[in-house]
Amino acid sequence: MMQPRNNEKRELKRKKGSEKTIEIIACVFLTILCFLVLLPCLSVVSQAVSPGTDVMGGKVFFLPTGFQLETIGYVLTRTPFLRSLKNSLIVTAAGTFISVVTTILTAYPLSRPDFKGRTIITFLYVFSMIFFGGTIPAYMVVKTLGLIDTYAGMILPFAIVQFNMFMMKNYFEGLPGEVLESARVDGAGDMRTVVTIVCPMAKPVIATVTLLYAVCYWNNYFHAMLYTTSTEMQTLQVYLKNLIANIQGTLADITGSTGYSPNLTSDGLTAAAVTISIIPITLLYPFIARYLVSGITIGSVKG
Amino acid sequence: MQKKLITRPQKVKYKSSFREECRKTWVYIRHHPAMYLMLLPGLFFLFIYKLLPLYGIQIAFRNYQIFLGDNPIDAIAKSEWIGLAYFKRLFSSSQFFKVLRNTLVISSLKILFLFPFPIVCAVLLNEIHSKLYHRIVQTVIYIPYFFSWVLIYGVFYAIVGSYGVINTILTSLGGGRIDFLTDAAHFLGLIVFTEGWKETGYNTIIYLAAITAIDSTLYDAAKVDGAGKWKQIWHITLPGISSTIVLMLILRVGNILNAGFEQILVFYNPAVYNTADIIDTYVYRIGLGQMDFSLSSAMSLFNSLVAFLLIVGANTVSKKLTKRSIW
Repeated sequence: MMQPRNNEKRELKRKKGSEKTIEIIACVFLTILCFLVLLPCLSVVSQAVSPGTDVMGGKVFFLPTGFQLETIGYVLTRTPFLRSLKNSLIVTAAGTFISVVTTILTAYPLSRPDFKGRTIITFLYVFSMIFFGGTIPAYMVVKTLGLIDTYAGMILPFAIVQFNMFMMKNYFEGLPGEVLESARVDGAGDMRTVVTIVCPMAKPVIATVTLLYAVCYWNNYFHAMLYTTSTEMQTLQVYLKNLIANIQGTLADITGSTGYSPNLTSDGLTAAAVTISIIPITLLYPFIARYLVSGITIGSVKG
Repeated sequence: MQKKLITRPQKVKYKSSFREECRKTWVYIRHHPAMYLMLLPGLFFLFIYKLLPLYGIQIAFRNYQIFLGDNPIDAIAKSEWIGLAYFKRLFSSSQFFKVLRNTLVISSLKILFLFPFPIVCAVLLNEIHSKLYHRIVQTVIYIPYFFSWVLIYGVFYAIVGSYGVINTILTSLGGGRIDFLTDAAHFLGLIVFTEGWKETGYNTIIYLAAITAIDSTLYDAAKVDGAGKWKQIWHITLPGISSTIVLMLILRVGNILNAGFEQILVFYNPAVYNTADIIDTYVYRIGLGQMDFSLSSAMSLFNSLVAFLLIVGANTVSKKLTKRSIW
């Protein structure tokens, strides 16, 4: 009589054991992963605020060996960091606004089943998404239009990103058609329907698309670099890349104008520039993360 | 991900004549002028930046001299038409095969090492019971997705440099210094690693979303049948997300010519051109760097055509296998 029950218990114990094992494995694995993500960032920040002698002596690993803000101060005041930050903010704000408005206005007509011309215009967007004319011809267009060294030149490439447009269009297609129809019956024009009915109902997708555009403008390096020649117009990404590439020159410049300081080292300056460039994203991250998780579930792939 | 409930109007039973169609269209346009006005900004941008460059594809077939015209576009028509000469030159150059090979090698390495990884992460993350820990992991692994390549370059430049943390640790362990940025083999490792560093979190969440969509009664049934955790993962979780896995793999393979342009552009340097120069960086370097516009355009057009075929192919396969597509 007792035998089977014992077996059952042992069986249950074994199962509980396997459940525990897998959770422990998962914990260890994911914790290592988190450290892999955080340690490099931590190391850079530590190098930026540790005394210059420790940085050059290879004494800074993942935690600061001291605290000084002199190096960061040099980067803020002696390099065009603030100017490039301003450029990035302008491009991102203006670009995101233009892109989101354009995307909503394009996605709405294309999402209406009765819209005449839907097929051909959708085709244009699909085709241009999967067939790329090439970097050189696009550059020639921007140059011909006189958009080199302008904010418009940096905004143009992402003014409408087809992928985002299709994500929004898919979402609009899922909105209840009766509501839109009833608005029409009430005599609201198409434009008013979009502003007063579609937009409030589509808040989640609009938030996600806004975020995608903002990240895209903020992070873009290639176009911002290609379409600018003057240092006046450099965005943060271009500035940071140039600073790292030419760190010895920057170091010599700053030393020349302010005199020697132990906290003025090439590695320290690089780390300081990287650190202050991380800050804007980190500040916005909690907000960003919330919308992106919902965004991925909305439309990472049409399904 | 299970949305998309479009109800299309039922097809009209009778076959309307062409004239009838035209009339209907005209009536629609008259009643909904705003719908067409709305499209204008998008079409304007689409035309300027996506369609107008298609005209510039001719550069690949002409001996393009930028100073022949009043402006770079005007110069296209004024340059001499020389047919396939640049393509011949391209296909007979060793450079072409080198950058094609590099592109395929880097893409394949990335798929091989990085494709399965987020799946493992998502499955393991799903086994975590603590809500708080779950949220912390999700939040942390996802941060680098928002870092630009320049920023990631900056972070890794600081830690893998000759006197960075990694090398300090290596030498203290008795190893020699490794220059990750200029040593060809280590450079590829760095490229694959940083790509994983940036993208793993994002992809993990895609799979996690797919796992959440699995019917939870399946797990209850499995528990009743006495299936342990490993069995549940193997027989419920993985089959449950298999269509997402297949779709992601097809799309990734369809994009194989895209080995990560911006990443490599930011990371690479002449010391690693031999193994790290990919099609996109080559097009940029010889086209806008060395002003060899026509040869560069020929390479670019070849790339666009093959990429186009691959993506259309991938989408067709995906529609057949998973009933899902990107457009």
